[in-house]
Amino acid sequence: MRNLFAAIVALLALFPAAGAEEAREVIRRAVLGKDEAAQAAVLNELMGRADDVIQPLLDAWRKDRIFLHAAPGAAPSPVLLVGDKDAKRSQKAVILATGLPLRDAAGQEVRLVADELETAPHSANLRRVMKAVLDLTDLSSPIAAKRQAAIAAIGQAQQSEKLPVLERRLKTEADPKVVKALREAVALIRLKSKEAAVKADALRELADLKSLASTDFIKTAIKEAESANDAQLLAAGVDALKAVNTHRGFVDFGGTIFRSLSLGSILLIVALGLAITFGLMGVINMAHGEMIAIGAYTTYVVQNLFGSGLALSPFGWSLSLPGLHATGWLQESYFLFALPLSFLAAACAGVLLERSVIRFLYRRPLESLLATWGVSLLLQQLLRLTFGANNVQVGSPAYLSGNWVVGDILLGWNRVFVIGFAAVVVLGVWLVLTRTPLGLLIRSVTQNRAMASCMGVRTERVNTLTFALGSGLAGLAGAFLSQIGNVGPSLGQSYIVDSFMVVVVGGVGNLVGTVVSGIGIGSFDQFVQQYSPSVAGALANVPVVGGFLQNLAQDSAVFGKILVLCAIILFLQWRPSGLFAARSRSLD
Amino acid sequence: MKKPSNRVLAACALALASLVAPAKAQDTVKVGVLHSLSGTMAISETSLRDVLLFTFDEINAKGGVLGRKIEPVVVDGASNWPLFAEKSKQLLEQDKVAVTFGCWTSVSRKSCLPVFEKNNGLLFYPVQYEGEEESPNVAYTAEAVNQQATPAVDYLLAQGVKKFYLLGSDYVYPQTTNLVLLEYLLSKGVPIENIGGGFRKDASGKIISAGKYTPFGHTDYQQIVAEIKQFSSGGGAAVVSTLNGDTNVPFFKEYAASGLTAETCPVVSFSISEDEFRGLPADKLVGQLGCWTYFQTIKSPANAKFIADFQAWLAKSTVPGIVKDGRVTCSPMVLSYNGVYLWKACVEKAGSFEVDKVRAAWKSGVSFDGPGGKVTTQPNMHLTKNVFIGETKADGQFKILKSYVNVFGEPWLMGKFKYDFRSTVILGRVGGPGRARPLH
Amino acid sequence: MPSPAPEPLRPPAPLSDASAAILLFAAVTILIMPALDAGGVIDHFTLNLWGKYLCYALLALSVDLLWGGTGLLSLGQGLFFALGGYMHGMYLMRMIGDQGQYHKPIPDFLVFLGWTDLPAFWKPFEHFSFAMLMVFLLPGLVAGIFGWLAFRSRIKGVYFSILTQALTYAGALIFFRNNTLMGGNNGFTDFKQVLGFPLREPATQRGLFVLTAAVLVGVIVLLRWLRGTKFGLVQRAIRDGENRTLFSGYATPAFKLFLFVLAALIAAIGGALYVPQVGIINPSDMTPDKSLEAIVWVAVGGRGTLVGPILGAVFVNFLKSYATRAIPDLWLILLGGLFLLVVLFLPGGLVSLPEKLRPLWRRFRAPAAPAA
Repeated sequence: MRNLFAAIVALLALFPAAGAEEAREVIRRAVLGKDEAAQAAVLNELMGRADDVIQPLLDAWRKDRIFLHAAPGAAPSPVLLVGDKDAKRSQKAVILATGLPLRDAAGQEVRLVADELETAPHSANLRRVMKAVLDLTDLSSPIAAKRQAAIAAIGQAQQSEKLPVLERRLKTEADPKVVKALREAVALIRLKSKEAAVKADALRELADLKSLASTDFIKTAIKEAESANDAQLLAAGVDALKAVNTHRGFVDFGGTIFRSLSLGSILLIVALGLAITFGLMGVINMAHGEMIAIGAYTTYVVQNLFGSGLALSPFGWSLSLPGLHATGWLQESYFLFALPLSFLAAACAGVLLERSVIRFLYRRPLESLLATWGVSLLLQQLLRLTFGANNVQVGSPAYLSGNWVVGDILLGWNRVFVIGFAAVVVLGVWLVLTRTPLGLLIRSVTQNRAMASCMGVRTERVNTLTFALGSGLAGLAGAFLSQIGNVGPSLGQSYIVDSFMVVVVGGVGNLVGTVVSGIGIGSFDQFVQQYSPSVAGALANVPVVGGFLQNLAQDSAVFGKILVLCAIILFLQWRPSGLFAARSRSLD
Repeated sequence: MKKPSNRVLAACALALASLVAPAKAQDTVKVGVLHSLSGTMAISETSLRDVLLFTFDEINAKGGVLGRKIEPVVVDGASNWPLFAEKSKQLLEQDKVAVTFGCWTSVSRKSCLPVFEKNNGLLFYPVQYEGEEESPNVAYTAEAVNQQATPAVDYLLAQGVKKFYLLGSDYVYPQTTNLVLLEYLLSKGVPIENIGGGFRKDASGKIISAGKYTPFGHTDYQQIVAEIKQFSSGGGAAVVSTLNGDTNVPFFKEYAASGLTAETCPVVSFSISEDEFRGLPADKLVGQLGCWTYFQTIKSPANAKFIADFQAWLAKSTVPGIVKDGRVTCSPMVLSYNGVYLWKACVEKAGSFEVDKVRAAWKSGVSFDGPGGKVTTQPNMHLTKNVFIGETKADGQFKILKSYVNVFGEPWLMGKFKYDFRSTVILGRVGGPGRARPLH
Repeated sequence: MPSPAPEPLRPPAPLSDASAAILLFAAVTILIMPALDAGGVIDHFTLNLWGKYLCYALLALSVDLLWGGTGLLSLGQGLFFALGGYMHGMYLMRMIGDQGQYHKPIPDFLVFLGWTDLPAFWKPFEHFSFAMLMVFLLPGLVAGIFGWLAFRSRIKGVYFSILTQALTYAGALIFFRNNTLMGGNNGFTDFKQVLGFPLREPATQRGLFVLTAAVLVGVIVLLRWLRGTKFGLVQRAIRDGENRTLFSGYATPAFKLFLFVLAALIAAIGGALYVPQVGIINPSDMTPDKSLEAIVWVAVGGRGTLVGPILGAVFVNFLKSYATRAIPDLWLILLGGLFLLVVLFLPGGLVSLPEKLRPLWRRFRAPAAPAA
């Protein structure tokens, strides 16, 4: 993206289009303006002008890519830096006003280093003016999303002077989303009108559009109608608000379902490894969280190896790994490599843990809890000593950082990906367990170790492999969590209790149970978060309970978690061995 | 890669030596360092330990304090608040340290406070906090609310922001800050329906405070971000975030994924400094605001020297687990650094290490030209210092948008705005608009 | 899942030995240490620290009553410890009066939440007797309700452990909420006095130490007596084979409920004594980590014995106090490693160390003998 942009700037700089000089000159004057007001005034001259250089140049200014260069003894002049950086990190300088290369007295092209130059200053107010300029330019942008954003901005600012432009546009616009935005913006601007009839029309239009963004404006209109004692207008306003709020109810509900699925998938992914180590093998693995952390750190390491390399200072000595210096899609694809590697890294850690500690404790599950807790403390501190106590930065590749809006419901790509990935992983694990020889061995050993051993199954080896599989899945979860949360030494601690709850509620030793309970717990949590404040509001007058619930709107997030835990405790009264309990006639 | 064995052996030997014979040399003065080096708060506090050790080395290289070398006693509070109380007792009653530098969270300070008051010790506290406290046994080098939250809100108001969503972690600093901000915003004419996040009501249903709160270590911000998305859909909105360091990552990742940006709805955060950015996707946060009394991007000779010296010290440090690459400096680190020098100045002015005399020197007004400009001690145990508002850049640094010079630290803000910090603020522009202004 | 192999029934030690040990322990803690403190031989800090260890020992005993004694591994004993502490803490908070930071008649944390009046449920806590009643009543009630639900539906083994963990985690989250009006994350701190005795005075702290030691000795005597009764036999029967006990006609849920409540009460007393000595109680004491730590003390000391849990609690905490000062960067590794080693190589805990070492000692002595 950045490269593409640089290329455009370079192109523009090298081949100044005829007639573009003037816009360049205006921007130069704006950059050098003596104060904010003067600069804003100059920028306003650009308003409404359609010129291809405006967009990239203003963008360059906003993003600190216009620099002030002063030749010795001369006043500073704004320049752009283009082309690749050479060994001295310098780039070719291009004069802003002309688009021609900057030459020194001898006629040589000048190369400058960005870090040594002062950037052209700008303030939030100036950026707002720039945005207004660009908004108007964007109105005729070929990209629908840009048109839509520009129109929405004009509408929200209720700029009545732009009403004719919008109305003209409305006649020619074909894209339904943009048409909706146009109607909304026109209605919002009309809402500012002094005439009651126009206002009422606008309100009806907003009601028809179910425009969520106009809630505040409708409320203002209602207030105005109240103070003006205009019953008709008031009724129109109330109707509009009602329509918008009804729509909001649907959006909230749809959004909550999506969020439920996404949280449920996360819980499922973090618990899946535990469902194997704890559920199938009976090892209470308190170091499960650290296996997740190992996966997340592996993602971090892979990311840095694709980038500029990794420098570690474990225990005070330094260790540096060179990187690939990849850019563009290759760098973005690091995550695809990180997934298998995080699985492998955690699986290896799992093998080590199983061979060195857990194999001695198969007959003593409660003691495996203690030993693995010791391991968990140890691993946490080792991670801290290796990667530092701070959180480390794991970026999201572009394909995981956008979103879709479907009928006002926002679907983040990372969330959609989590849901899809959870489904794939669960399917994979199910296939491994039911359709492969390894799965058969795992099931035989977990169901009846002695019998399997008698049949010639090498139970020790199966144990190791099973534990590695469980740990590897935890590592995968870590790679995922790096996309939505922080990566630090105590990352696993935030998920360990949740993981155990998911497995126990689902029924120990049952994969389907884990899936159902993960999604179920996630949904319960999200629905409580979304709807508990209004329920609590209704119960506010009930003694004792009302007092406790009174200020729920402030911290419904934690209330969701508390209620989930209480629900789990009560649920297990009803089904003491979880949702899908393994049937057994044996008694201890 | 160097061979580890020597270092490990040395560390073991050191551990053994400290076990066998605690040094009791007369030419040193013991100074406590009480930060969490493990547990959840280690992500923030370890950097402060580093900068403190650096400062001690720097002072010792120049001859120490009153001719005595500083001997640091580093203990681990382990993010465990009762352990903080125990460790402060140990530092004061067993090690008999002259002064202690430490604590990050308010709860750790609160748990140590009775111990320091009982033993008449002195604690230097370096992290932005809620105010509403003024103990003679604590030197608050930290930002008070009027040195951070209210200037930031003023800035937003001047930028035309009309709606404020108050979001914080559920502990004393956000709770108090939001209570103060609620009063402040209302006093500035912001209507109550333009304040988002939820309100606290008392038994009679009257609004007594505001804000949305999430527990420590919260990881799921989907619902809250959806709420902010709706809140900001009409434009002119901003989020005032007092989320604690760790939870900022999931919050901002969710924020970015939902399509909210600094242009549609800026977030001003009081707990994210340059150091926290090491764990945050900075490129997704460009333009979000921060307000501190120091930024690494301040252009001054003192700051350049501080940064260079700290990096040089890091490069040759042998502290186990210390991170050497990609290190940055931030306000809590500089306030720790300033704290040590202010303590040194107070000791030298008093001519003694005795807490009472050092405190008297503090109250009489001592100044130090630190990396963030001049800081001056006040009789109320706080500091007068410069305040900066900055917006984040893609490299995790801040671009300074505005600076307020010599802001008086006022801890008692709740229910009264008797001190109008703007009266001493020098506004106006030197150089171009919005330019980072060097202070000297 | 494989069920744990039943442990062999440990033959009770000869009474005279145990009684002598208890007497010795009582003498050291109740008389000698405070005397040394008053005489200036050990500093106040050390005595205070040991007071904290003894409170932890009570928590460890409570864990072991369930785990070593009955085979119920509760991962939530920290909840009862903290609840006891909170109930006493409420009284101590009221005793601060208007000496807080705000000099208001209500606790500081209510002021920063915007409250001006004391909520109704805080009012009775200005009476010490009410607070003491609640120290027993609230943890007892929570344990009673939870235990009744859990044992009625025959939740056991790992399920019971995970469920108790959920319980304490829920408790921690509730108390973390500032809107619960129990001090939120800060909890209670900055106490001034108890029953008119200023808490900063060494003499008060000494008194609290003696009280803690006396309570601890009392609990040891009680548990020891309980073990010798028929009730103790049933308890061990439940540990070694619950179904058989049930089929023999014993209402095991009732027995377990009684033991669970008793354990909760022991933990609660520990918490109530802990608060004035440590000077802070907050929800971090309820987090699952804290309860796990208590289990580790028991495991390190040696479960199923009375001495083991106490030894473990004191030893691990002493090591922690020491290591966080001596090796602040590496102490977690030391501690984690210790847990690991104990579980792997010393399943009987520290108390079994002499037994383990005896053969080694013999081998060491054997070659030496002919030479002599």
